[in-house]
Formats: sequence, structure tokens, C-alpha cells
Amino acid sequence: MSAAPTPEELRGALAEVLDPEYPVSLVDLGLVRGLAVEARTARVQIAFCSLGCPCTELIREDVEERLLRLPGVERVEIEEVFERWSRTDITPRGLAALRRAGVA
Amino acid sequence: MDDAELLERIRQGRLVEGPEHASERYLEGLKRTLVVSGDTELISAPAYLRAAQHAPRMQSYISVVGIIQDELGHAHIAYRMLRDLGVDTDALVYEREPKDFRYPYAFDVPLDSWYEMVVANGFYDRAGFVLLGDIYRHTSYGPWKRALVKVDREETFHLRHGERWMRTLAQDPEHKPKLQAAVDWMFVMTLEWFGLPDDLKRHTEQLGFGLKGMSNDELRQEWMSTAVPFCESIGIDVPAHLDEATGRYVIDIPFPLEFDEGEKRWLLEEGAIGWDRVLARWKRRGPANEEFVAQLQAGYRDLQAGLAA
Repeated sequence: MSAAPTPEELRGALAEVLDPEYPVSLVDLGLVRGLAVEARTARVQIAFCSLGCPCTELIREDVEERLLRLPGVERVEIEEVFERWSRTDITPRGLAALRRAGVA
Repeated sequence: MDDAELLERIRQGRLVEGPEHASERYLEGLKRTLVVSGDTELISAPAYLRAAQHAPRMQSYISVVGIIQDELGHAHIAYRMLRDLGVDTDALVYEREPKDFRYPYAFDVPLDSWYEMVVANGFYDRAGFVLLGDIYRHTSYGPWKRALVKVDREETFHLRHGERWMRTLAQDPEHKPKLQAAVDWMFVMTLEWFGLPDDLKRHTEQLGFGLKGMSNDELRQEWMSTAVPFCESIGIDVPAHLDEATGRYVIDIPFPLEFDEGEKRWLLEEGAIGWDRVLARWKRRGPANEEFVAQLQAGYRDLQAGLAA
């Protein structure tokens, strides 16, 4: 059995999960608000950019699919948190990626 | 600038940035292409909104509304460029007769179920993606090329939404036949979308001036090259297959065909018809043309009436 990953390893994996529309990761968008691993269950807290986000189901699927590929993760629990999100939550790298896509 | 100077500029790989770099014929071709693009994006809004009422969950409804918002943004890009070229876009969008809109006939056939909604995302948005992707890669018009970076990304999401739902519905024995029924009429409808085959096509300035890169038949092939394998991968039948010898997709039924709008059925039994009959049907427009255009123009009409009162 592989050891369970650390929260930082979860974050590293989520840095590879892109927003369904633009080529920017969920981490760089500032959507990842909490990470923990307990008994082979990865727990993720995610905020969405808006209540009317059209991509919540796709994002949840992508997060689950990616984290289940990590050794030591057997279950993924995603909690949607209704925290404020604004463009100031986007990392400089995320802003640069959005600018290249013509949307920042 | 005359055509020869312009063609030399394009040959050098320099983009056209405005009317000062273009000829009359180029501008006419560009405007015609932009009107088709803007109209197509715009009409998808009422078409998809009507279909969204069949969404199985609130989140699915929100996804379609998000897609509609994107499409309106894309329409705005095309109309905004027309306005910059001196076109009266208020008259174009809000005062034009429904029959004079230039979007594909496919959008005149109303989408009446969630099955048809997601196949529209899987097929029609794929057609948009193919057409606009070609323009993005090949257009000689600089402002459009730059604007399409974002459009390309957003259409990817629409396509994924369609494929995700088609895959889910295809796995359920109760839903699969209804999905297949939607595919049966919408697949051929999308083949038709790409227009006249190359040996009958006019408007050669579109290719000659580098407004787009691929011909109608090439674009139809490009669409089939992803649509057909996708449908095969989820166990949905489509009337086309890859000919391994030539590497090209072959349509397995007579094409083009006459369409029964009431039954949403292609009249296979009547065999292939001439493109002149297809063009005549497009010109007549289909069942939802007036309703959708009226919906788009209603707010403007109300506003004008209010201002006049």
C-alpha cells in the first residue's frame, strides 16, 4: 500500500487540472480553499467563481478523476464552499495565462 | 488598395488590420463572412434557451445558460467588427427581416428535448469549433484572429458539455434510443451545415483572400474526423465511416436529402436531391425562424415604442 499523499501533493495534482474553458489551473484561479487527507480519503474544499458557474459539474469530475490517480487516494470528497472569489484571488501566473487567452 | 496589392500583402503573411489595407471585394467577402458568423452565434441563444427548459437538473440548466452567454459574447465580437467596418449593426440585428438572417438552416429546426440539446452541443458547437478554428488559424483579418483566441476556448467547453451528456445518456438503455433518434436527424443536418460541395461553390474570395483556410468539403471532413469516432466510441450509429484506403470519411447514405420538418426526418426513400433544392429550403427558412428572430428583436421593438410614446 502506498502512503497517503500530503496536502501539498494534492495541490500539485490540482495544479494540473485546468478550468474547463480557459487554459488556467484551478490552483492558479484561486478556487482551491482547503486540502486534507484522512484514511485514504482526499478532502477538497472548492469555491466557484460565481453561483451561476456553468462548469461546476465538470470541475468536480476533473478534480475527482485527477486525485484518484494519486497513489494512496481511494476516495475523494469535494465540498463546495461559498466563499467570496474575485480576480484578486488569481495568481500572477493565472493572470498571464488568461491574458494570453484574451480574457483578462 | 486594389486586389493585386492586397493579394501581395497576404502572400507576405501580413495581416489586414482595417479597410486601409483592403480592397472592396475583400471587404465585401469579410462582411458576408462576419454576418454569417454573428447570426449563427446569435440565433443559437433562443434555440438553446428553448431547449434548456428540458434540463434534468438546475445545474444542467445553468450550464446551458452559461453556454448561451458565451454565444452572445461571440455574436457581439462579429457584430462589433462589422460596426467598425461601417455597418449599421442596430439595423442589421434588430430591423432585419427574419428570412434575411444568414445562419445555418439547422437552427430553424427547434430543439425539443434534452437529447437534442446535448446533441446540438456535440454536433453544432463542434461545427462552430471547426469553422472558427479554421478562421482563427488562417484568416488574414487581424482583428478577427485576435478575438477568436477566447472563442476557441469557450467552444471547447460547449463541446465537452455535449460529449459528456451524450456519453452518459448512451450508457442508459432507457435513454439511448432517444439519443440515437436525435443523432439520426442532427448528424445529417450538420453535414449539410458546411454547405455546397467544392465543385459547386461560389464566393471564392473567402479562400483567395485568406478569409478562411479550408474549403467546405475539407471542413465537412474535419467535422466528421472527430464526430464519427466519438459517436462510435459511445455506441451510437452514424451514417458515415472512415475509408482506411483514402483516409477520408465517406457518407453512407444518399446526400443531400430532402427534410421533413414536422417529423424531423430525412426522406431517405426519395434518394439524393440536388443542392438547388437544399438552397431553396434554406432560402424559405425553417419552422422556428420567425419565432427566434422575433424573440431577439422584442426588447429593441419595445424600447423603440417606448421612446416614440
